[in-house]
Amino acid sequence: MDGAYDEIISDNPFFVELKNEYTNLFQHCISQSWVVCVPRIGSLTTRVFTVEDFCAHILVPSDELPETNYSTLTEKQVTVSNKVIILEVTKELPLQSHILFEETFYTEDFLKYKVWCIESPLEPTRNVGDNTITKEYLTSINDCIDLLWTQAAGRQVLDQIEQSVQVFLKKQPSLPIAIGPLKDAVSELYTQCLQYALQNRRLREKSKACKQILENIKIAVECYMQQILFDALFKPICTCCSYEDSHLNKKIRNMCDIQLRDLDIKKELYHAVPKAKQILSKIDSYNTVLEKVLCLKQALNAINKKDSSNNVVLLTADDLLPVFVFLVIKSGLPNWYSQLTYMKEFRFSGVGRSDGDESAFLITTLEAVIEHIQSGALAGPPDPESYYYESNLTEENLNNRQRKNSLTESISTSDTNSRDETLEYIFELVKANHTEQIQTILLRNQRHLESIHANDNNMLKITLESDLLNDYDEDDDSGSDTEIYQKLCHPLCNCKKCCSKISKNLLRTSPTVNSRDSHGLTPLHVACIHGKAAIVEILIEMRAEIDATDLNECTALHYAASRGHQNALLLLLHSGAHINQANIDKNTPLHLAVNNGHLNCVKALIYFAEHSRKMIMINSANESGNTPLHLASKWGYEGIARLLIENGAEPSLQNRYNKTAFDYAHNLKILQVLKSVTPNLYEYIHITTSDVKVLNYRNDKNLTFKLQKMTLRYQDNNPSKAVENLKLIDRILKAISYGDVKLACFYMNINYADYVDDSNQLKDSSCHPLCECKMCKKKTESCTEFDVNFSDSNGFTALHYASRYGLDELCNILILNKANVNCSNKKGQTPLHLAALNNKTGVIRVLLDNGANINAVDITGNTPLHDASDMGNIGAAKILISYGPNMTMLNGSEKTALKIAKERVHLTIIDLIEKHANNS
Amino acid sequence: MSGATNGSYNFKVVLLGEGCVGKTSILLRYIEDKFNDKHLTTLQATFLNKKININGKRINLSIWDTAGQEKFHALGPIYYRNSNGAILVYDITDEDSFGKVKNWVKELKKMLGSDIVLVIAGNKVDLEHERTVPLEEAESYANMVGAKHFYTSAKLNQGVEDLFLELTREMTERHDRNAQADVSRTSRVLVVEDEAPAPSSCCSGAKHN
Ligand SMILES: Nc1nc2c(ncn2[C@@H]2O[C@H](COP(=O)(O)OP(=O)(O)O)[C@@H](O)[C@H]2O)c(=O)[nH]1
Ligand SMILES: [Mg+2]
Repeated sequence: MDGAYDEIISDNPFFVELKNEYTNLFQHCISQSWVVCVPRIGSLTTRVFTVEDFCAHILVPSDELPETNYSTLTEKQVTVSNKVIILEVTKELPLQSHILFEETFYTEDFLKYKVWCIESPLEPTRNVGDNTITKEYLTSINDCIDLLWTQAAGRQVLDQIEQSVQVFLKKQPSLPIAIGPLKDAVSELYTQCLQYALQNRRLREKSKACKQILENIKIAVECYMQQILFDALFKPICTCCSYEDSHLNKKIRNMCDIQLRDLDIKKELYHAVPKAKQILSKIDSYNTVLEKVLCLKQALNAINKKDSSNNVVLLTADDLLPVFVFLVIKSGLPNWYSQLTYMKEFRFSGVGRSDGDESAFLITTLEAVIEHIQSGALAGPPDPESYYYESNLTEENLNNRQRKNSLTESISTSDTNSRDETLEYIFELVKANHTEQIQTILLRNQRHLESIHANDNNMLKITLESDLLNDYDEDDDSGSDTEIYQKLCHPLCNCKKCCSKISKNLLRTSPTVNSRDSHGLTPLHVACIHGKAAIVEILIEMRAEIDATDLNECTALHYAASRGHQNALLLLLHSGAHINQANIDKNTPLHLAVNNGHLNCVKALIYFAEHSRKMIMINSANESGNTPLHLASKWGYEGIARLLIENGAEPSLQNRYNKTAFDYAHNLKILQVLKSVTPNLYEYIHITTSDVKVLNYRNDKNLTFKLQKMTLRYQDNNPSKAVENLKLIDRILKAISYGDVKLACFYMNINYADYVDDSNQLKDSSCHPLCECKMCKKKTESCTEFDVNFSDSNGFTALHYASRYGLDELCNILILNKANVNCSNKKGQTPLHLAALNNKTGVIRVLLDNGANINAVDITGNTPLHDASDMGNIGAAKILISYGPNMTMLNGSEKTALKIAKERVHLTIIDLIEKHANNS
Repeated sequence: MSGATNGSYNFKVVLLGEGCVGKTSILLRYIEDKFNDKHLTTLQATFLNKKININGKRINLSIWDTAGQEKFHALGPIYYRNSNGAILVYDITDEDSFGKVKNWVKELKKMLGSDIVLVIAGNKVDLEHERTVPLEEAESYANMVGAKHFYTSAKLNQGVEDLFLELTREMTERHDRNAQADVSRTSRVLVVEDEAPAPSSCCSGAKHN
């Protein structure tokens, strides 16, 4: 570790004197391969040594146990264990001394001897006093502060470092977003801080006296600087690494189900993994490189621990990598690459000592691990259906293993042996993409089942069983078959155990398109897991249950989304799969597609919903309260985050830990996306027209064709006028909701420029609505042929939208283009209602000046004033009141606006209404 | 590259070679003087330090063991970059492992040129009767690529210490030669410990980029 104790033995006065003044003793010692102990320089209380002193420090290995037992030349017994020398002292407590390091000397005449530098002299008589070694390792930021404080006897050095950092930050309020310049700048700052530290007289003198202290001061200065600088420094680093991190995250997310056994990890190490994982996932809570590296070291040490039966398991390079791969995958950290870059590039104090020190080794190991994950050399995620085999293998091992072998054989030979037609076999066929075989088997079984159905409806179960028994006379299973229901907890029980019992029983029966295995997986699930679109298609054709769920309540759509199989996903969607289905963790398919970084599937889900006018719950929260946007933000998927934002994802929603997507944004790029809640609409429109098309299915031309047809239906060049129209309306309203007046006007065939020129007059127009002055006339003349009073399926008109979003300018334009100011939507709300609800005072004025009915009621009986009172919109209330509304009106709950304001305790509004009532 | 600070040399050495040729065994024999022994002072054999002193020159060896499995081969460069020396181990009873050594040599020469000192170790000489890699072939190959060749047995403790000693000598020599060339070329002032609070890190940091 950095900062491990070191000194130059050949300069140590004890050693020098032994070598130079007691040459005979020394030579003898060497020739006998005895060990020489040298007390570290700081522990020597005198420079005057006697021959006894030396003899007490020469260890002669014992004959029986030469590694652990020694005697000194003064005839004292010494044992060594765990790098501690224990000296037997009569009457007193045994005397101990740490071996700080071992140095092997080779002389010119090819002799070799070992020297142990020890913490304190091996002499019972002399008191070492309080001259204990300064901390060997610095292990935390507190150690560093401690060191700088105590060694400098005051906090001036700390203050100076802090000041330098503040000045540094003031000089460059935003740090460069490139590792090179960033590193140079910080390196310079470090040099400066170190200079300040060494200008301190005490520190300078102490570090001159002891090399160890100098090394520790360097580390401490670096650490303290990093601690203060961290917040300003780490975001730019993450931003530089955002691309690598998001790619790494995608890789990691897609194999987060990986198990220890998938990585060939020694079984003896399994037990230590949870602890190591816990340690390693804390790495992002440290601000300094020192502590982060230490965290790696602790994780490594945790793996090194003794196993359950107390044996030491030697950790070798062959184990270290896979274990660390596993830990990194399971840590749940979203910015490993940034962490690595920080540790690798911003460690200044250790450099120059050695590139090979332990910190360098740990950092390199992490780099290798990340590289390994990134390279994709690891297999993908394990298949959930493989668990089925494994549970079987352990229970009824041999039989099944044989069967599995025969399965693969029979696939290759296309030999369909009815005895092998288990669900397991069907799954194998699905994976191998054997479309026809699956179809034949399933159809036959289906017919078979139906005929049983028809023959004897009442006796279905019994018939089925006995029939099957006859068909597949499994030797002595007859008993167990009839007893199966007695073995269950309850006849209707569906706990995991019972399910597996039943399904195992059922597995012996012939599988149909909707059969399930012990995990509730249907063939459709399996086809989606493996992205076999052709099979998905035939299964759907055979009326497979689209929304069937497995034990995790995942539908096939969940799997297609989480594995990134866009073709399968589209097929399911077009066949009516439930797009917002939540699984056991309340994850929707959108969550899973986002979490695993499958932009193609996210696009497919969103555009399908948009085009088919289905609602996709873009902001739905899973079990932990995370919306898809939380996930996109956390894992740094910039493209996905942008897409979600453009489609109405709300970045300010909180999850169960009160965190918003903003809180999870690790880099500035994502943050920027989240802040751009009003996106560039031109790009948006551009995407909508083209994107659900990435369907390059290889084998099946027919399928591709079908998919293309489906997609085409939703593309722009659709002949249907009505659809075209609906799409246009959709676009207009969206444009308005994004505040893009220009684009909205463009769609409505209104020449925006006509209005902009006169925008001043428009705004503070003193003209009466009915005015016929030249100006106004010109405006009315340039009126569009497009009917601006169109409405969407909920009855919202463009004016509704413009009012809702407070676009005064557009309201004016619309009104000049003959928009009906009093049209109401399906809830009976007029534009004025919406403006009042959203406190859009400018719009309220425009509407009221243009003949809006101030007392309009919606279907709940609320007037705009009711709405304003309800929401506590003071500005809106003020303006409404100034236009003299009827304040005695009762809504559907028999309440006046005043009553509502009182219920809601909106004091200002109560005041306003009461004042006005008094005045009139 | 690492070098001599305060009169000490810091060298990084990597052990490379196919799985099961005895890399870890050689390392443990050198550091702990043990073979297949449960009683070790270290709990890990992935990275170990050794301080030696040859005629007054202090040398700190940081020895990195590597994983031999093929699936980790691509990670080689991450491990061996900035190394001063590499020990390429093969098993004298396994011809494939010798072929692997040849690949490593090629790769290292390509990536690091002559910056790195190579030694080749034919391990498991206690199994001389099972030898499949011909003696002359191995030695002449080593000669050709400018690497020292050693026969070792981690099991019987043969040749292991010599191997490390020779490697260290070679690394020290090469380092001194390079340093001299460096000084004469750039007449760079060596940082003297005492009067230079300006840390060595700025120069070494620059060397790193
Ligand atoms: N006979 C013999 N066996 C050895 C020798 N060195 C290592 N082995 C054995 O070879 C196997 C692999 O050794 P290991 O050090 O793990 O090889 P690595 O994979 O290259 O690290 C182990 O079973 C060792 O006991 C040796 O010098 N002689
Ligand atoms: Mg090994």
